[in-house]
Amino acid sequence: MSTERRSTRLVAPLAGVAAFLLVWEAVVRVGEVRPFVLRAPSRIFGYVLDHPADFAAAAWVTAQHALLGSAAALVVALGLGALLAASRLLEHAAAPVLTLLQVTPFVAYIASVVLWLGPGTRPAVFLVGVVCLPGFTFAAVDGMRSADPAARELLRSVNAGRLEVLWRLRLPSALPSLFTSARYHVGLALIAAYLVEGGNFADEGLGAIGRRAVALNEGDALWAAIVVMALLGMLGLLAISAARRSTLHWHASQRT
Amino acid sequence: MSPNPAPGTPQPGDHAPIDGAQGARRRGVTVRGLTKAFGSRPVLAPLDLDVDAGSIVSVIGPSGCGKTTLVRMLAGLERTDAGSITLHGLDPQAARQAKQIAVVPQQPGLLPWRTVEANARLLLDVRPTASPTGADDHLALLHEVGLGDVLGHHPHQLSGGMQQRVALVRALALHAPLLVLDEPFAALDEITRADMRVLLTRLVEGRSATVLLVTHSIPEAVALGDRVLVMSPRPARVVADIPVDLARPRSATLDDDPAFVALCSRVRHALHGSSGGATR
Repeated sequence: MSTERRSTRLVAPLAGVAAFLLVWEAVVRVGEVRPFVLRAPSRIFGYVLDHPADFAAAAWVTAQHALLGSAAALVVALGLGALLAASRLLEHAAAPVLTLLQVTPFVAYIASVVLWLGPGTRPAVFLVGVVCLPGFTFAAVDGMRSADPAARELLRSVNAGRLEVLWRLRLPSALPSLFTSARYHVGLALIAAYLVEGGNFADEGLGAIGRRAVALNEGDALWAAIVVMALLGMLGLLAISAARRSTLHWHASQRT
Repeated sequence: MSPNPAPGTPQPGDHAPIDGAQGARRRGVTVRGLTKAFGSRPVLAPLDLDVDAGSIVSVIGPSGCGKTTLVRMLAGLERTDAGSITLHGLDPQAARQAKQIAVVPQQPGLLPWRTVEANARLLLDVRPTASPTGADDHLALLHEVGLGDVLGHHPHQLSGGMQQRVALVRALALHAPLLVLDEPFAALDEITRADMRVLLTRLVEGRSATVLLVTHSIPEAVALGDRVLVMSPRPARVVADIPVDLARPRSATLDDDPAFVALCSRVRHALHGSSGGATR
């Protein structure tokens, strides 16, 4: 790829975001929108920059919750996925439970999880894990099942064991669908972390800032927490994209 | 190696290890009364087959006649309904366990995340301690088939012919006594296919492996084989067993040899006599 196209690819998204913020700012100022309806981005970012240490610390806590929870979900999903990919019976037994987990609004049982696991990191990591588990598992099963039949036969022809087939063929075959699933789960993991932080009495994380802001009617703080959440999500997506590009360089999705 | 070994009856001591005696008849593959049905449809009529160790046998037949099923059973990848298969003294499952069978499938089945070099090494990497001795020359083989410059490439960067050459090296590098090729060039264009035929002839002629080549192509079957087995439509049985007494090593200009042309015509007649239809 030429350097010109590479720089275009870097500049274009930034220009898009800048244009969006400018339009937003203009709408609020020109239209004299009242602050409790919509705040200007300059005011929100100004608030974040006035309290840099608070937001950095809170963002770090939330990022940890989301990361630990989704990492745990990934580990469980890979093991579970390997089992379900090997047995249709197990898959049919597990699918409704996983689907139930996926469609039940987790907001409804956050309080129960907090009562069960106590305040702090544990309920946040647990809930993020629960929220990510079904999607990761389905992606792992689909990906493992999609392994090239010719390669599968080939490994059978030298009597490769189950673990070796898993390691050499099924896991790498599942990477593309796992990356796709991970992209969708960045937002979900962050929201789950945010909501548990708001309800777990630990007073840590962006969720705690958001909840306090709502309780004290501090609009600037609430908007600032939301914007920092969005920034975290973008960082997560960037990290996943970078990992995907370097891991899946061999995959068709990376060659168009 | 006897150029046109005729099928014979098994004799005591046939499964003894290869002793290297010049001209000795050693059993590579023995099949007795093999049958297979998918549901109520018989695929193989009771089938007997003898292949001398170290010989190259081409199996040709109409589409869907059960050739692939036969080689899959020989490679231990498909269960038999009845009958027995002996590969160099072992049953297919034991042979698979001992990594004694090297398969070249119709689709190359390369792992897209592995480089050319790593793909060629795949069968050696699986259960490495079970690999036959001397199985570590995949790099030399890659150079020999003209892939020395693309060792670090990934499969998507290769042409179809190059991919199938990697698959060939992957099988040959195992140094298994039995090499099974299931229409390995079926997905390639005519020109690449002719090149691959010459390459494969060169590679297998220098080896002591017993080779089973399933193919749709008459010139391919004759050019490579010591024998050509012509199969009938389903349920498959051997309708002709044609010895190919062309001198080895066989050259790339074989196509112009009158004896070659005559043999191809003989195979074609045997095929059409059995199927009444055209094959490639």
